[in-house]
Amino acid sequence: MDDRLAKCVEPGVSVIVGSVDAAGNPSCCRAVGLKTDDDLATVTVFLPVATSADTIANIAATERLAIVTTHPISHCATQLKGMVQRTRPARDDEEPFIVGHFAGFGGVLNTIGYPLRVTRSVTHWPAFALEMRVDEIYEQSPGPKAGTRLR
Amino acid sequence: MTSAVKLSDVSSCFQGVVPSLIATVDGRGVPNITYVSQVYYLDERHVALSCQFFNKTRRNLDENPRACVEMLDPLTLQAYRIRLKFLRSENQGPLFDTMSARIEAIASATGMKGIFRLIAADVFEVQSLERVEGFLVSGRPEIASEAPSLAGHRSEVRGLQWVSERINRARDLERLLRASLGAREEYFTFRHTSVLLYDEPCGKLVTLASRGYGESGIGAEVRLGEGVIGTAARDRQVLRFSSLDADLAYGRAIRREAASDKKCQDIPLPGLVDARSALAIPLTVGDRLVGVLSAEDRDPMRFGEWHEAYLQIIGNQIALGIDRMTTEMDAETSPPRPSSGVRGEGEGVRVEGRGKKTRTLTYYKKDEAIFVDGEYLIRNIPARILWKLLQESQRTGRTEFTNREVRLDESLGLPPVKDNFESRLILLRHRLQEKCPDVQIVSTGRGRFALQTGATIEMIER
Repeated sequence: MDDRLAKCVEPGVSVIVGSVDAAGNPSCCRAVGLKTDDDLATVTVFLPVATSADTIANIAATERLAIVTTHPISHCATQLKGMVQRTRPARDDEEPFIVGHFAGFGGVLNTIGYPLRVTRSVTHWPAFALEMRVDEIYEQSPGPKAGTRLR
Repeated sequence: MTSAVKLSDVSSCFQGVVPSLIATVDGRGVPNITYVSQVYYLDERHVALSCQFFNKTRRNLDENPRACVEMLDPLTLQAYRIRLKFLRSENQGPLFDTMSARIEAIASATGMKGIFRLIAADVFEVQSLERVEGFLVSGRPEIASEAPSLAGHRSEVRGLQWVSERINRARDLERLLRASLGAREEYFTFRHTSVLLYDEPCGKLVTLASRGYGESGIGAEVRLGEGVIGTAARDRQVLRFSSLDADLAYGRAIRREAASDKKCQDIPLPGLVDARSALAIPLTVGDRLVGVLSAEDRDPMRFGEWHEAYLQIIGNQIALGIDRMTTEMDAETSPPRPSSGVRGEGEGVRVEGRGKKTRTLTYYKKDEAIFVDGEYLIRNIPARILWKLLQESQRTGRTEFTNREVRLDESLGLPPVKDNFESRLILLRHRLQEKCPDVQIVSTGRGRFALQTGATIEMIER
């Protein structure tokens, strides 16, 4: 994975997802973790069970998902688009990854003035794990290159 | 799980403190997700989004007008989702100008002028608004050691968060007003500031707190449309003046001298006679005026566009805090009971105090004004409140009172809702401290206070 693409799964990024139902209505949700084991050929994104009912229903209907990761300080942002292959409850052995991801995100926010309790107060567990095949990757950082396809 | 709420119930989400999410879908049914810096409240059924960079979002809206936005309340962190239908783009007119000015102010402060600019104001119809239940961990602990500080790198978010913390922590209106002035001095190093609250029944703004002036000026009044502060209030517009010319400063000095005449009932407005720059920020909740934040400086270029935009956000937080306090006060009040009817003629009566000194308080019924030893003290509703307390004390010997019983006394003429009782009590307390320290109103707990007299009070009614 090249350096640019590696930025989208580095510690401290925020992760958000967009989905769509069968009638073309979009929905959005804040995620609590993103990981890849195969250089972004596939990713697993974690969504809190408490807040992701719409997204899970949309995935059941259309399988389509858009994921944006953003670094809160550099604003380096990447959009991944693809089809969700599998939706399942996150396993207990995945909770430490989610907790670590969230701690990293909270740490970055803390450096720009958000106290740690801000991120600690957001629900992150239990979570769903959505395994997505990545079909397209776009530059999303603000500026003239926004929207450029990276892969 | 979600639950429905009204758009005006979540006004703090529209301050742009925390970026919102927006999801759209293209003509092929592929979703897109991105951040939007601010959602603008237009009315209960409409919002606007700033179109700056997000071309894909814009193209998607032309193909499929539906969008979903998730906003966060910057104070509580609660999330809300809005389902929207895109109606139109405006690239000129009042809405565009308002949104554009705000973005340009921030752009100029961050070195992004010309790059960070508004392309269009996109107007949407709100189809539903839902509170995202379960977004926050229930019963989350407060971590005292993480209280915000201004040490280290000062970001905009740190400043906002720092001010918000102080506003949230304030237990009463007086502390909130003090905190708002203290925050402006500590964060922006503004040395000459004041807060005026709007007294709607009187149509005037009343100074309730000030900082950096010799005389506090508490109680000084400004009519809507009068001067920089009154105009900012009337038009609900931030006013910022740089390089105030000498004529204006001279005029202000003359007015101040006239107002400081002892025979005059007008309390001089706190202000610098040689101010060269001024900033007035209206405090509003929706369209409702709550008050005005005012700042002055001798430096002619002290306040920039950056301060204007940034303080407007902070002003919104202060306005919400004030509104919350007054709403809580309203909620504490039970249904009215009959008037205690204690108001009556009290010519020449005395309240025996602990000291040997005698202070003469004269209540002029026609002007509804109280003078102490011939010097103006206070008028209107705060004067009626003080006179009622003194009469009650003289009649029954009572010195302990509750806010509730005083508020429910119909003879005082307080409005049935949003009566600003707390602010009137603050005003009265400060005026007594400055002009008659032998009579004190001392808080004895939430919603309770005591009348303390350190001299024999002679009461005359004319």
